[in-house]
This record gives sequence, structure tokens and C-alpha cells, in this order.
Amino acid sequence: MIIEALLYDGKSSKEHEVSIEFTANRRVVILSHDIDVSLDEVEIESRLGNTPRVIEFENGIRCKSKENDKLDQVLKEFGLSKSKAYKIESSLGLTIGSVLVTIGFIWFMLTTGATYTSNALASILPKSTLDKVSDISMGQLEDNYLHPSKLSDRQKRIIQGHFDALTEGEAGYKLHFRSSPQIGPNAFALPSGDVVLTDQLVALSQDDEFRDILGVLAHEKGHVVKKHSLRIAIKTGISGAIIGYITGDVSVLASTIPTVLINSSYSREFEHEADVYAVKELNEMNVSTEYISKLFEMLDKKYGNDNNSSDIMGMFASHPLTSERIDYFKSYIK
Amino acid sequence: MDKEFKHFEFHGNAKEYFRIWIVNIALTILTFGIYSAWAKVRTNRYMYANTYLNGSNFEYNADPVRILIGRIIVVTFYILFIIFGQHLMMFEVAAGIAVFAFLAMPWLIRQAVSFKLRNTSYRHVPFRYVGRTRDFYAFFLTHGLLNIFTLFLAFPFSYVRFKELILRNSRYGQGEFNFKGKVQSIYEIYFSIIGWMMLVTIALGIVMALVSGIALESSGVGLENIASSGMLGDESANADDVAPMVTGLVSILMIFIYLPLLFAQKGLSDAYFSNYVRNHTSLETAPFRGEINIFKLAWISVSNVFAIIFSLGLLYPWSQIRYLKYKLEHTSFACQDYEQFESFGYEQGSTVGEEMMDFFDIDIGL
Repeated sequence: MIIEALLYDGKSSKEHEVSIEFTANRRVVILSHDIDVSLDEVEIESRLGNTPRVIEFENGIRCKSKENDKLDQVLKEFGLSKSKAYKIESSLGLTIGSVLVTIGFIWFMLTTGATYTSNALASILPKSTLDKVSDISMGQLEDNYLHPSKLSDRQKRIIQGHFDALTEGEAGYKLHFRSSPQIGPNAFALPSGDVVLTDQLVALSQDDEFRDILGVLAHEKGHVVKKHSLRIAIKTGISGAIIGYITGDVSVLASTIPTVLINSSYSREFEHEADVYAVKELNEMNVSTEYISKLFEMLDKKYGNDNNSSDIMGMFASHPLTSERIDYFKSYIK
Repeated sequence: MDKEFKHFEFHGNAKEYFRIWIVNIALTILTFGIYSAWAKVRTNRYMYANTYLNGSNFEYNADPVRILIGRIIVVTFYILFIIFGQHLMMFEVAAGIAVFAFLAMPWLIRQAVSFKLRNTSYRHVPFRYVGRTRDFYAFFLTHGLLNIFTLFLAFPFSYVRFKELILRNSRYGQGEFNFKGKVQSIYEIYFSIIGWMMLVTIALGIVMALVSGIALESSGVGLENIASSGMLGDESANADDVAPMVTGLVSILMIFIYLPLLFAQKGLSDAYFSNYVRNHTSLETAPFRGEINIFKLAWISVSNVFAIIFSLGLLYPWSQIRYLKYKLEHTSFACQDYEQFESFGYEQGSTVGEEMMDFFDIDIGL
């Protein structure tokens, strides 16, 4: 088999047109340049689209040929296989497979993958790290938004009792009573297990025994158990990295769009997960979900039209209360 | 001696490159990132090998194994920095890593320049870089201080000096590159870019005002349609669900004002500076010429971004090829003798600098 090529001697930029002969006894011959070597001493570059392929000789001589199909045939005849990457690229099925692998991976990382990754990360990260991070955010909140609670001792005692029952046998949970006119009626949890409850929320309670507040606390515990803050951080990071990698230079998109897109829809998913967790806990403690649904209705009536979006992961921060959530709790009233 | 200018040609096509690109991504995912080094080599080989000048094409010769080692070193340092800084709160260690990286920066940048050149060859003669590390330290020290004290007003001056540092120390075979830039011209370029961007901003402002006027006129319904046609996915915009609508409008505004402005500016700047550098660079006595139309490149840049967004990334390979093809085919070079260059051989070197630039997406712009 004879292949037309351009030859460069590696000493200068001179170009020579040559014919390379691949003989039956596995030798590569270029008559015009006195080359007659064994096929094993020649390196033929893997095929890449239809770019001229480099055939490299041991003495630094390099030939380039555009006759890709002929070269593939030579390689096949001598039992040297095509490059694996080219095999995938040139097969329609495997290209479509690659598209599916990519889409599947992105989808997985944005859904269940984030859960696995955050669980894995959470088990690697020492507890002290989570605590330190939480300490810092708690400190910032204390400085800017939180004031000492004005609840009566009786109120505190009952709610603390609920909290202790809820977290019995589990270390790390701590309830903080605080007043915060800025944040308003709300409750939120830090990854360390610190739960903050505002006086303003307690004031809306319609149950002497504060069983509605117990529901709220169970919801907050759900955020901690399901590691929501870590998962949000991971999802934002991953989607940024994916968009950045695939779109290359579109670096703005990588940093802005995911946060915009994720924060509205994902926090909704997390709120629901925490609600599911709360219902489970309330059932185990034999407390009706009626109380928390009433509290929600009350909040909806009073604040339903306000869109108080706050940065912290609060019970009611990320979106207005929807009737769906009230219905969800109501559906579990026995 | 009349000079005959020859255009660079680009023979790559989006169909071929799409396959290379998607297989690269899939294999990178399946190998937990290890294949990314081979992916980089295949991508660059494809781009270089499809670039022709006077009938011969370029070659990319980097060794994927060395690229992988460079990547591992860079990523390790970065991860250590994040772990110490953000998770263990050991700020002294994190600061130590940052200071170390900062001090090594000029050296790493020189390495990256050298890597790009020595792994590029044309007619089996590699490019080389002979700039000295100490010149990079001198450059970054003086120009760093200068720009801090002049609040970056001296940037055009530094730009010219940096291009000189890069180009005057670049070699093709025995051939030396030359660059003669005037600081004043760079100031003029900046003023032109600012001028055009102001015009575009005003024009866009008028269009947006008209559009939002129409939208408001057709009352809330119009706004809802805009919001739900956005990129909010499954968020439905019903009347009492205000939050997603606001988010929707914000992202729409961002996409239709911010992105065109940003990428028009990117395209304009690239066209202006590419033309300027090409028109003031020569290889020995053989000059380059840049004939990029600034509006055309700005248009390509903006329309590419929208093509990428609305195809969910699938048109990325197409947009890359389109941009590169336009730029290369509006660049030309006049050389009497393409056979006169002598090779100094291929050399290996560290890949850390190149991989750092890659990782942090820093473009030195050669």
C-alpha cells in the first residue's frame, strides 16, 4: 500500500512530497529519502477527525498524510487497531451514548448526587468543622439581628421540654430563644444543630401547650438531619462547575445563573423534605399536625402577601407560605 | 520585494468537533476527571491541525501525562487552600499557601507562555520562548506597583510592555518575533471601546424601555408570560406566586441586557487588540496583518452566547469553531520563504504554570 505524504526532516521547515510504502513484510519504505525501517519503529498518531495524521520516525523525521482512510486500512491489515477515542467519536451510537452519559451525570449531580456527595462530605468533615462554621454564622446573626428573648419562664420551659423530647438521645442539638423584630416570626437551624426560635413566632402560637411550635422545631430538626445547608452549597458549586466546564468562556453564567435558578426551586424541595420529616416526628410523638397547620394559616393570614426573603435558611424565609403546605399538614390530621 | 499576504485558513467543522467535544466530556466524567488531560490534548490537536498557513498546518505536541501531573499539582494546592481556609479555619496555613502562590506567579506565567510556544510547531519546527524568569519578576513588581498607585490608569502602558516581553522573546526556529506598540494607541483603543459600549447601552436602554412599556400596557398577563417563558423550569407563574415571577424578571433582564453588553464588549475588545497586536508584530521582516471587523466579532460573540444558552450548551462546539474560524481567516502573514527556518529541537518543561492558567481560566493571550 502506498500513501502520499509530506515529509519534514525535523532540522528545517523544508517540505518534501513523498510516497510511503507499507510492504507486506511489515516494513515502511520511503525510497526518495533512503528510509527502510520496521513498522514497529514508526509511530502513527491516533486519528482525529480529518486532520492530517503524523507518522513519526525514530530519527526525528515526521510525515503528515491526509489519506486517513487508507492509513486506517493499513493499520487494520497489520493488526494495529484504531485509536479508541476515534472509535468512539466516529460511531454514531457511542456519540449519542456520550451525550446521554453527560446529561445523565449532570442530572444525577443536581438531584440525588448532591445528597450522596453531601453525606460523604459530611462524614469526612469533622464535626468540629461544622460547629466552627455554625459558630461564625451564629455570631454574625447575634451581632446583627438577634436580641435576648423576652419570653416568660413558663413559655421557655414548655418549649424547651418539647425540644428535649424531640432530640432525646441525640447529641449536638441546642435551642436558642431570641427576639428579632427584623427577622419577624421565624425559626431556623444551623448545620451544627443550633436551632433559633424567635419570640415573634411564639407570639403567634394558638396553643397553650405550644404543640404548634413543636411542629416548627421538628421541621427545623429535619433541615439539620437532611443536611440541607451543605446540600445547597454543594448543588450551587456543582452546577456552577458544570456550566463553567461545558460552556468554557461563559464564566459569568457559571457564577450567576445557578444561584438564581437553584435558590427558588431547590429551597422549595428542601422545605418539603423538612415538612415530611416533621410529620413523621409528630406522628411518633403522638402530636396532631392540626396545631402546626393552624399556625401556618395564621401566618398566611398575617404575612401571606409579604415576600420577606432573607438569606438565612428559615422556616418561612425562602418563599411565601403556600396553601399546599397547609394542606399537606392537614392531610395528616387524624 | 513585494510582500504577498496569505490568510490563515481554518478547516475544522462543528460536526466533527461536536463529537470530539462530547466524547471528551463523557470520558472525563467516567474516569473521574483523569481523561481531562487527554481531552485537552485532543481538543488542541484538533484546533491546531486544522489551522493552515500557506498550505501547511500547525501541530500541537503536548504530552497528556505531563499535563495530568500539572493538573494534579494545581488542584492539590487549591484543595489544600480551600480546606485550610474555609473548613479548618487555619487561616495561617491558607495564607501561607496564598502567599506562596502569589510569589510564584511571575515564574508560573513565564512557564505557561513557554509551554504554549514549545508545544506548538509548524512544518515540524517548534516555537520557543527565551524570556528570562527574572524579567517576569521585574515586570510584575514594577507594573504591579505602578498600577496600584495610578489606579490602573497606566494599564495601557503595562499592556504594551507585557506584549513586548512576550513577543520579543518568542522564536520560530531561529526566527525572532518583533512587536512595536505605541502606548497612545492602546489608550485610543480603550476610549473607542468605552465609546461604543456607551452607545450600545443607550440603544439597548431604549429598546428595553419600549419592550417593558408594551408589556406593562397589556397588564399583568404580559408580565406573567415573560416570567414563565424564562428559564425557571417548573416554576409556574400564578397570580399569588410573586417570588418566582420576580426572580424570573430579574434573570430575563440579566440575560437580555447584561449578557449582550458583556459579550459585545468581549468581542469588541478582542477584535481591537487582536488587530493591533497582529498589525504591529512581525517574524524577522515578515509582517502579520489583522483584518478583523470589530462589529462582526462583537456580533459573533453575542450571538454565540445566546446559541449556547438556548441549546443548553449543545451548540458550544459550533460557537467555538465559528469564533476561531472568523478570527484566523481574518489574519494574514507575508513571508517570502517558508523553508528557511531551522529547528532547535523539542524540549520538555514543567506544565504547572500552564495548568494553573487553565484552572483559573486566565488568558495570557498569545
